[in-house]
Amino acid sequence: MVAVKLMINQTVTQENTALAIGPAIGPAIGIDGVSKWYGGKAGVKALDDVSSNIRDCEFVSIIGPSGCGKSTLLRILAGLEPYDEGAVTILGDAVQEPRDDVGVVFQTANLLPWLDVAANLKLGVEIRQGRAAAQAQDIAPMVETLGLVGFEKRYPHELSGGMRHRVAIGQALISNPRVLLMDEPFGALDALTRDRLNMELLRIWQKERKTVVLITHSIAEAVLLSDRVLVLSDRPGRLIKEVAIDLPRPRDPSTTREAPEFGDYVVELSRLMGVV
Amino acid sequence: MAKSVVAKVFNRKITDALIFFVILGLVWEYGVKFFGIKSYLLPPLSDIGRAFIDSRDALWTHSLITLGEVLIGFLFAVLLGVPIAAIIYFVPFAKRTLYPFMIALQSIPKIGLAPIIIVWFGYGLTSKVIMAFLFAFFPIVISTLGGFASTPANLEEHFRALKASPWVTFWRLRAPSALPNFVDGCKVAMPLAVIGAIVGEFVGSNTGLGNLILLATGSSQTALTFAALLAVTLLSLGLFYIIEFLGRYVWWRSS
Repeated sequence: MVAVKLMINQTVTQENTALAIGPAIGPAIGIDGVSKWYGGKAGVKALDDVSSNIRDCEFVSIIGPSGCGKSTLLRILAGLEPYDEGAVTILGDAVQEPRDDVGVVFQTANLLPWLDVAANLKLGVEIRQGRAAAQAQDIAPMVETLGLVGFEKRYPHELSGGMRHRVAIGQALISNPRVLLMDEPFGALDALTRDRLNMELLRIWQKERKTVVLITHSIAEAVLLSDRVLVLSDRPGRLIKEVAIDLPRPRDPSTTREAPEFGDYVVELSRLMGVV
Repeated sequence: MAKSVVAKVFNRKITDALIFFVILGLVWEYGVKFFGIKSYLLPPLSDIGRAFIDSRDALWTHSLITLGEVLIGFLFAVLLGVPIAAIIYFVPFAKRTLYPFMIALQSIPKIGLAPIIIVWFGYGLTSKVIMAFLFAFFPIVISTLGGFASTPANLEEHFRALKASPWVTFWRLRAPSALPNFVDGCKVAMPLAVIGAIVGEFVGSNTGLGNLILLATGSSQTALTFAALLAVTLLSLGLFYIIEFLGRYVWWRSS
């Protein structure tokens, strides 16, 4: 079974590379029958036969009850976690380890406390491409985009929680990755800050057009941001449904939420998650 | 109503400490005289001050000798302790072998080692350096080890996602994460290195503050004993505050 799937994937890969010039070719991320156990197959099953193809430049959110394995799925996509069955490809290649063209933003804003904002923004470039590349990196446009002008020389402990998360996102974005994976990046923030950062995220995504996978536990956030929402079941995480969000873009937290369809999507997703 | 001039010039922290120490000094000075305590048992504070000034040349010379022993011993403790902590942290085999060996070695009362160290390394500088080293070594190993272990897991994962090499992860993440603990370890180790050197001088030496204390006590020059003790205290305090000062450059706590 797995072998057949792998073969299919390989043929798809070949087609992809043949066409790999324009946008929107093949899936940017292919998830094919992925299962994962913690502590071997006698242990806890975290993911059960999850399949989905994520298009280039698509914004996909994954929601599900806590402990359903959505973070595990993201870590698998990031190449940080092995999986037991199925196949995962990014831009046509099987995922085995972290990739340079994939940016990951974690739940906690992972900043080095001994580096200032500028150095933290450049950290990814420095580690991947070396010190010279980091020195040559112009951070001014990113600092501008993130609304951190004047804070370049500040240290993480001098920033608010929202600013720290913006720096973390900026660090992932600055090396211009093709794919951005985000694990509840705003989970720990208050609603107001969260709304603002969601807006900024939308703005950046609409400008830079990346494939984004966002893990969230907020249904409204998923509807507001995504082209498509994947709903995972309680553990072991199975894909219950994929819901395409046909709301016009550009979206805006204040106006998009007014749209009657917005409420419909929220209700539908809530029902799927068993909240309503 | 208005704050007194004194309170404006000094803050409470300084004035309170000052008042406390002045009262303590007065109690010592006049208590000794009032109760008629023999001066070879406990001299009044003024005698100690006089001895300190009269013997300042000797105190200075011997202080420099002790300082040299402490600094060299401490330096070796850092130069050996930090790599050994790194090896114990990163090499599982070393954790199973070297670490229990360290703990066992640490459990030996090091004062008991002093005579054999003198026998092995003689009356000169080396034996005292080794005593200072022995006292300072373990706190540095243990604290640095704790520092490496305190590297936040989320940052380790972040470096993994960035595909950082073990070398880069060490220098850019683990070493800076360990620094605050290392500095704490140095603060413990430095006064211990002073004790180590003094113990070494007690057991076998003809120079250094430890030797001076021994000689002064043996010849009932109790005021000089206390003056030498004061010199040791000042030496130890000075070294501690140098580390405290340098530690300001390590202001982060990676948690």
